[in-house]
Amino acid sequence: MPDFISISNNVRHDAERWTGRVLRIGVWVSASLMIAGLLIAAMYPSTIVVFSSNPTLGNLVMRMLSGSFDPVTLMFAGLVFLMFTPILRVITAVVGFGVERDWRFVFVSSVVLLLLACEIVYSIFIKG
Amino acid sequence: MINKRYNKKNIFFLRQLIVEHRQLMVYSFETLTSFSYHRSADKHNYYTEFRVPIISFISLLFGGFVAGTFGALLGLGGGVLLIPFLVMVLGVPMHQAIATSIIAVIATSSAGAAMNLERRTVHIRLGMLLEIATVTGAILGGITANYLSASVLAKLFSGLLFLVALVMIWRARQHTGQEPIYTDGTLPGSFYDDANRKIVHYTVKKIPVAMLISIVAGNVSGLLGVGGGIFKVPVMHILSGIPMKAATATSNFMIGVTAAASAFIYFAHGHLNPFIASTAALGVLAGSMTGVRISRRIHGKVLTWIFALALLGISIQLYLR
Repeated sequence: MPDFISISNNVRHDAERWTGRVLRIGVWVSASLMIAGLLIAAMYPSTIVVFSSNPTLGNLVMRMLSGSFDPVTLMFAGLVFLMFTPILRVITAVVGFGVERDWRFVFVSSVVLLLLACEIVYSIFIKG
Repeated sequence: MINKRYNKKNIFFLRQLIVEHRQLMVYSFETLTSFSYHRSADKHNYYTEFRVPIISFISLLFGGFVAGTFGALLGLGGGVLLIPFLVMVLGVPMHQAIATSIIAVIATSSAGAAMNLERRTVHIRLGMLLEIATVTGAILGGITANYLSASVLAKLFSGLLFLVALVMIWRARQHTGQEPIYTDGTLPGSFYDDANRKIVHYTVKKIPVAMLISIVAGNVSGLLGVGGGIFKVPVMHILSGIPMKAATATSNFMIGVTAAASAFIYFAHGHLNPFIASTAALGVLAGSMTGVRISRRIHGKVLTWIFALALLGISIQLYLR
């Protein structure tokens, strides 16, 4: 195997390991939040939890920061965190390609990131 | 603390919150037999009461687990089996079922991709390139789906199930043999093949055509909440000449990003029901992990035939509803 391939493979291996690690942590954190929410809800069967049907992302963060850990907020937080894990995956790819100095693929993954950002902006926009 | 507060001053808090928000959703756990949605209104505002019966909750968890297990065994991902279960068995509205499935797809893809990345079977460069196409398709699909009625989506989904069943039958009839490896394409990739104990080097052919098909796969994903791997993997394998193992791992890596491209749109439209999505996602996640573990001990071909025929049946039933 030529030298340049093995060098690039080592760098890539690091990037892949980090991306894998980020994904695994993301899944476990969001699963824990969802389990916590469901357990709290299940432990108090008579509880009526009240929340807006479609909280905004900002609303959700504010509720978490204010210490409002009601079951629905926890579950929504878990779901939103999970929705962000693929975006983290793309960010680590951009950084990984940057480390490898593969500017063509830094551009490619940045386009993917930009498209995802457009989607989030659109979803914030349609909520008014 | 919070629960006590809700119990004691239930009605007071409800009224106060109805005044604060224009649209509310009230969630409650009850021992009913099925999910129920009640729309109520006072003078100026309205809210939806969503009752989560314990029985449905358990069946949802179990259903997610079964969908995840068989999805992993058949290489389908959870969505194809989860959506019919949610809609036909539990009576969940179509849009909510799609949003739930998208969450389940993200969960299984992230968990699977973590493993595949460490094994180095994912072709990240190819994945990212095709991702431009799938993400564009998925965003358009997500926007379109929210303007379509539930019955139109159900009809489209039944068509998708029919296609999936046909692809499964075609796959079951294929003879597994020595894979042809192309080295005259672009984007060289490699992975370690456990079975043959050697590093497989390969290249990718016909990327523009693969990207065109990826737009369609992404669109189907955003529109109907499935991963789309069942279409992407054969395209990558047959058209682009990527070894099956790398094609499957790369597709799995991609479907999470594709699903995230429509997840926020469904979330913004209020189709993400936290009880249904969380429970089903956890079930599917546990199921897919189990499925991956037992897949080596199960005879794939018989199972594929059984499920292909079952999907044809479900497809017809969903169309006639």
